[in-house]
Amino acid sequence: MGLKVIKKIISGNQAISIGAYKGNARFGSGYPGTPSSEILEHFKNYPNVIAQWAPNEKAGFEAALGASIAGTRSFATMKHVGLNVAADPLMTASYTGVNAGFVVVTADDPGMHSSQNEQDNRRYAKFAKVPLIEPSDPFEAMAFMQYAFVVSEKFDTPVILRSTTRISHSLGVVQFDPRTLDNEQDLKLEKDFRKYVMIPANAILRHKVVLDRLEKLKTFSNETPINKIEKGKTNFGIITSSMAYNYVKELLPDAHVFKVGFSYPMPVEKIREFVNKFDRVVVVEELEPFMEEELKIAGINVEGKKYFPYDGEFNLDIVEEGLKKAGLIREETTKVVFNKFELPKRPPALCPGCPHRPIFDILHSLGRNIFITGDIGCYTLGCLPPLSAMHTTVCMGASISMGVGASKVQSEQKVVAVIGDSTFFHTGIQPLIDAYINNANMTVIILDNRITAMTGGQPDPGSGFNLKGESVKPIRIYDLVKSIGIERVYDVDQYDYENTKKLLKEEINKPGLSVIIPTRPCVLAPKKIKETPLVVVPDKCIGCKRCLRIACPAIDFKDNKAIIDEVLCTGCEVCMHVCPIEGAIVKKEEK
Amino acid sequence: MNINSVLFVGVGGDGIITASNVVAYACMFAGFDVKKSEIHGMSQRGGSVSASVRYGNKVYSPTDKMGSVQFMLATEKVEMLRWVRYLNNDSIVVVNDRIVPIIGQTIDESNIDGMIETVKVEKLIKRRFIKDANRLGNSRLVNTIILGLLSRFMGIDEKYFVEAIDQVLPEKLRTVNQSAFSYGLNLSEKYS
Repeated sequence: MGLKVIKKIISGNQAISIGAYKGNARFGSGYPGTPSSEILEHFKNYPNVIAQWAPNEKAGFEAALGASIAGTRSFATMKHVGLNVAADPLMTASYTGVNAGFVVVTADDPGMHSSQNEQDNRRYAKFAKVPLIEPSDPFEAMAFMQYAFVVSEKFDTPVILRSTTRISHSLGVVQFDPRTLDNEQDLKLEKDFRKYVMIPANAILRHKVVLDRLEKLKTFSNETPINKIEKGKTNFGIITSSMAYNYVKELLPDAHVFKVGFSYPMPVEKIREFVNKFDRVVVVEELEPFMEEELKIAGINVEGKKYFPYDGEFNLDIVEEGLKKAGLIREETTKVVFNKFELPKRPPALCPGCPHRPIFDILHSLGRNIFITGDIGCYTLGCLPPLSAMHTTVCMGASISMGVGASKVQSEQKVVAVIGDSTFFHTGIQPLIDAYINNANMTVIILDNRITAMTGGQPDPGSGFNLKGESVKPIRIYDLVKSIGIERVYDVDQYDYENTKKLLKEEINKPGLSVIIPTRPCVLAPKKIKETPLVVVPDKCIGCKRCLRIACPAIDFKDNKAIIDEVLCTGCEVCMHVCPIEGAIVKKEEK
Repeated sequence: MNINSVLFVGVGGDGIITASNVVAYACMFAGFDVKKSEIHGMSQRGGSVSASVRYGNKVYSPTDKMGSVQFMLATEKVEMLRWVRYLNNDSIVVVNDRIVPIIGQTIDESNIDGMIETVKVEKLIKRRFIKDANRLGNSRLVNTIILGLLSRFMGIDEKYFVEAIDQVLPEKLRTVNQSAFSYGLNLSEKYS
């Protein structure tokens, strides 16, 4: 067979999917989450692979672990906070080990472009005592992913491959042969009571295996070619990994660099030798001082976080400032010549026609005596002014469970939990059971747009199709909630603004638990929805700005009148319903 | 280290990802190493959006350093100003003469235009490209026209852009976009 090399510009996420395929993975599962979502969306396109969305990361992780034990190389994908959900199986999968190679892909989000925290998931590798591999660009993302399966089988362990937003969503030129490697072992499903059944008697023995494996991995880390020295001309050395490596190489092209690709366990002995050659060695790493701590524990004299921030995403400017503080760069490579202007911020907003809008407008208008516990999704934008109708957002599923607590300890404020359909399937069902069995006095609103919208429109169990686009029978949230035993459950069309408002007002003020399910679909996915746009009749508009309070990007205000952008307007009519003047906002054809 | 870069700035939905992909491929076809960065997720919901294409013999960072951007393509005037610290006196900026409203804010256009005038770069081309696009019969061609115009200053041959348009865009859009690119390239004579 001859080489069939392709040269393309691809993202880190696409590169991870290519690496998985080339590395013979044939099963991938996970839950969508920025910046990880595109990995499985690319992987599903390969021949003879199984790619599927799970309702949450724990389920996705466990499905992939099961596939591994059944003899197929597998992987699970998730964003950093997704690994918190899958932390339970991670900690014990470290004990069971694997049969076929098994890789856990975590995509961290330094800078919180689209996340609620910026935890550094390298800590999980140490916590679970499993190897950690960190690429620095798309080419390495492909190659390291492939390599991760080999490491997994060689050491009988799950392997964590850590990306970050800037690696997952950056593109680079990659040349590759798209075919799979001929290294497939003929593995069969493995039944091994001592290895896979973690009752205490077995787990006690497996823990010793884990500790023994860690010693072998420490040796391996000093030998693997992905921990490498790039010789330079300076009298100091730099130790770096992941995206930070790129900034160092660009700012200090002549420096001696120890590039860490296999970062847990750290290549301590190889670094000790490296460090001994220089007057000073500085560790440049984003977020936590993970490598710095490991090296200091080993008694190696390095500096690091005293020059660089613990928070936020690195970039060339921040790394340069740190290197300057450390005395390794004298002058900036470029100067800033223009001053920052005072400009209005342009935050993200709910789309024109978004079915979440009327719900938040109604909740806002119901007054100050409501405590709204929110959740993670597009609808989190309901917290921003002028809608300002959300008082908590912590993590997936927390809206309902935090509402349970808040409703049990006080009664002055009526409690409303707001959660999306995908988030409800993810981790909202158990909290709703909690609300039911503990007699919580609250209203739960499940915004059922039948898609995972924020991450780009991935199907969820209510969508009626799966990751591969095949038709599946959707789970109806109404039936699911009813089956728990909750009596007051309502499907409602939220574009029927007046009736929705009436229902919400009644239910919020009644004692006991009720569930309201607004059923309008997302206007963007799976297909774009656009009805006849609306227009403002200028002679009738009194300039009261009530329509501006629904925060619709299609509505602007000029010369004391509202105006509607016909291109953006989807015709949802929410502005028409809130407008106090009959006939001031009408369908375009009626004008 | 000789790295050039094109910074794309605008508002979610402006087609910045596609435009930056075309430039990335054109640079690769012209023989350069290329890195590109873009931001997905929450920032796409009508918020400020940016993408960066950096090209040279060997490129490490996918994002730019302040004061280092040679070329900027701005699809909107407020967003151009938001990224001004990335420019320097030698930069070439092409900005579509338009303002996208911001919810709950009133923007004084003459004030914005006044700020733009204080930005002393090598070349600043501010033009209502929507008129050009409408002349070509499709308002969605704005970015490709700007790319045609910008390509002259980037010194990357038209043939690489034609190849890149073929690579990035679906078949039915290729011919119109190639004409739009040529239109923009011709337009550049007026500004050179």
